[in-house]
Amino acid sequence: MLILISSSILFVAALALMILRMMQFAPRTVWLVAVSGAMLALGSVFLWLGRQPLVLALPAWQPHTLFINPILFRADGLSTPFALSLAALTLAVLLTAAVRSKFTNSYTWAGMLALGGLGILAVTADNPLTLLLIWGALDITELITQLRSVSGPENNEKVVIAFSTRALGIGLLLWANIISIANQSVFNFENIAPASGLYLVVAAGLRLGVLPLHLPYSAESTLRRGFGTSFRLVSAASSLVLLAHIPPESLYSSVTPAMIILSVIAALYGGWMWLRAPDELNGRPYWVIGLAALSVISALEGNSIGAVAWGCALILVGGALFLSTVQNIWLNRALLAGAWSLSSLPFSLTAGAWLGGFKFFTPFVIVAQALLIAGFIRHALRPAGRDSLDDQQVWIRTMYLSGIILLIAFQIVLGWVGWDGARSIGAWLQAIFVALLTAGLVWATPRLRILTPVRAHWVRSTTSGLNGIYRSLWAFYSFLENITRAIISTLEGESGIMWTLLFLVLFISLLTQGR
Amino acid sequence: MSAPIIWILIPFVIGILIFFLADEYAPFIGGGLSMALALIALLIPIDTALLLGSLSIKISTSIEVLGRSFILSTADGMLLVMIYGVASLWFFGAYAANNAKRFCSLGLMIVALLTASIAVEPFLYAALLLEMAAMLVIPLLIPIYQKPGRGVIRFLIYQTLAMPFILFSGWMLTGVETSAGDLGATTQVGAMLGLGFAFLLGVFPLYNWIPMLMEEASPYVTGFLLWALPTFTVIFALGFLDRYTWITTSPQLSSAIQFAGVLMTATAGLFAAMQKHIGRMAGYAAIAETGLIVLAMGLRSTEVVNLTFLLLIPRGLELAVWALSLAIIKRKVYSLRLSEVRGLARKYPIAVFALLSAHLSMTGFPLLAGFPPRMGLWQELAGQSLSLSFWAFLGILGLLVASIRAMAVFVMAEEGTAWSINESWMHILMLGIGVAGLFLVGIFPQVLQFFLASLPALFEHLGR
Repeated sequence: MLILISSSILFVAALALMILRMMQFAPRTVWLVAVSGAMLALGSVFLWLGRQPLVLALPAWQPHTLFINPILFRADGLSTPFALSLAALTLAVLLTAAVRSKFTNSYTWAGMLALGGLGILAVTADNPLTLLLIWGALDITELITQLRSVSGPENNEKVVIAFSTRALGIGLLLWANIISIANQSVFNFENIAPASGLYLVVAAGLRLGVLPLHLPYSAESTLRRGFGTSFRLVSAASSLVLLAHIPPESLYSSVTPAMIILSVIAALYGGWMWLRAPDELNGRPYWVIGLAALSVISALEGNSIGAVAWGCALILVGGALFLSTVQNIWLNRALLAGAWSLSSLPFSLTAGAWLGGFKFFTPFVIVAQALLIAGFIRHALRPAGRDSLDDQQVWIRTMYLSGIILLIAFQIVLGWVGWDGARSIGAWLQAIFVALLTAGLVWATPRLRILTPVRAHWVRSTTSGLNGIYRSLWAFYSFLENITRAIISTLEGESGIMWTLLFLVLFISLLTQGR
Repeated sequence: MSAPIIWILIPFVIGILIFFLADEYAPFIGGGLSMALALIALLIPIDTALLLGSLSIKISTSIEVLGRSFILSTADGMLLVMIYGVASLWFFGAYAANNAKRFCSLGLMIVALLTASIAVEPFLYAALLLEMAAMLVIPLLIPIYQKPGRGVIRFLIYQTLAMPFILFSGWMLTGVETSAGDLGATTQVGAMLGLGFAFLLGVFPLYNWIPMLMEEASPYVTGFLLWALPTFTVIFALGFLDRYTWITTSPQLSSAIQFAGVLMTATAGLFAAMQKHIGRMAGYAAIAETGLIVLAMGLRSTEVVNLTFLLLIPRGLELAVWALSLAIIKRKVYSLRLSEVRGLARKYPIAVFALLSAHLSMTGFPLLAGFPPRMGLWQELAGQSLSLSFWAFLGILGLLVASIRAMAVFVMAEEGTAWSINESWMHILMLGIGVAGLFLVGIFPQVLQFFLASLPALFEHLGR
């Protein structure tokens, strides 16, 4: 029931905001309601901690004989940190909204609250059916919101292509369901058929842009700081949670090493581009790809705690950075706590990220992780392009600072309490290598030309169709189109009926031969 | 009064009368009458005395016409609710289509004839009634002064060819029943029957008239045709499967039905993905959906009836929303080719959103009406054959590609094009109700359980 209460608080607050906006209440009142709703929701998620596992089952679909799995939500050691992170992110986005120029957009705040509610439902989804429904809701919401915010044919097309990759992810999850049923397994996360496991990883990887490596959305959207951050991170969390639920035994396959290699490439690419991005918002897609790839690698290693740790780092560390629009030297230094959270050092948020032991991909992962941390430090300390907090009113200053500090505090708190991966020593030797390499990269960044920021990159947004994979896919599509056109024009042409009857005769003779 | 008079004769006669009314009243009379008939079927059980104070009302089950009986029993009640409920959506929606008077008039007569097809005894006469309904569709598809296109002619040829096959197989079936072990005769009857239904339902490659019609005739009328005829044909086919249980128990025939369904879904999905005309895409999507229904009918499962109707009910809603959106869009553009509808999402956002919702629903996108039936189908089909599941899944993926292509073209408006709503309030209302229905059924499919629970009672053996 608590799960329902937490998400309902956010939905009701969103609804209240819409009503208040229609009744033309002052923006400050509306904002206060929004923040109160988000605070209440965060408080209610905290209440989960003492009562785990929490289960919420909605009325089952009927007929029961066809719909075996109910719509089920569950808060446990893996989903609670995600839920806490998302609730904190929603509150932080609203608190920091106070400093933004478009302060009065209460419809956007309502959207953020609703998105937070959906995010909480997504991370607590306890079976694929439930996750599919929430993914569907998130994808439709994202599609409509993005289409409303972009302009021009190319940007609109990019939004649709981003939607299509997500829809393909949904398709893969469905296919995993079919495989599981064919293997006489019930399709829930506990009893999943071993043959389905890899499809689940690919489904999540596809939605995150990791497998195959692509940018699932455009960076040109006008939704930037607040709503954009919320969208990107909630959407990523909803996919990452799937990785945490995949049983390790379902990942023992000959394909797994190949998938690890692809994920390592994605992590290296994401880290490299993130380090060299001109600013944090332009680099955001690479941040998501880089950390999501690390999460996928953890999942493929059979380490679900690691997958959750990277997911929470993506939300909390990234959220704090992307919401920082104001120049403040102390705040910039506080943001560096994120580097600690990403380091995998003992008792940090990502301490449980690696299972330990040296594997063939470990050096590459260390490099990718170091690239991401070095990029984070560079963007956190970047003074240019940010406004000053000095000319703001005191209450705005306080709200803004508390929003950012909330996310930083959560990174530290989650390293210690609240979930299965808390207070973990982890693979400390690996973490020390990461820290050393990060230090080297931070030192070298202003000194080496190759590490200086650039805009150009070799993986383009998925619309371009210019890189090899997409070009060959398009060629295959054109080939199929030509064949199809030939068949259709034959069947619909003057001699179509004759061809049709000929086919029927063939069909019947095949049938009667097989008796 | 008897049930056949209420649900067959009255709508047929009123259908004739509507022809003499003004255009603007027709959708309300057609839709209102259908709604009333659905409500009567819902509230007053057939063949059960209902006391209203001192007044006793009882709707009797049958009438006889020329030695043939028309029987609508208590079990048919929910089926009538479903049929006339969905029909009312179509008639109200005719407000947006051209020539609403002709549509409502002929449409009501067609629904009445099709209802007669499920009521007639001996049930083989249903083939004749289906053929009569198909003939009534012709004046609906083409105005009297216009030369019929190739699609219309093919439609008529294929529907007409179906009738002798079904009647002949019905005659042969009586022989098979008496000599159940004769495998040769069984195969012959199966092939004959299969051919009849292949023509009626448009099994590959007999469905080529559907995309042709979507291109040359009104999309709204074609949509109605694609809802009405397959719906009643499926009920007719379920009747066959119920009476001649050896069809479903024979692994060979059962596999043939499944194969036909998968072939329809896979080819239609693939063809839909390659189309450059949104009307043709809709046509192929309807074919793919019919393929899934055929596949469901061929399952060796006790859930055949539940699953078939679970697919059938949302289909009516999906097609109605899709056809209405197409009709609204077609009023504004020269043709429904992708090049003509580019960027239309910003000028007709409601119609485009409704169209895409219906399209995505047919692909089984989560939250939409098509999702729960597909989940149910995978539950049954995957356990029986992974390869059939793969091909059906591939077909559905083809539909998804088609929807993404359509979506991309719809939203590719030129830089600076502002969003504006150009649909009338009536269009918005009707599309809004339809889309809300798609989401409602998609999130809470248990609302259909009200209908589904009683439908297996229509059949003696199926689903038991």
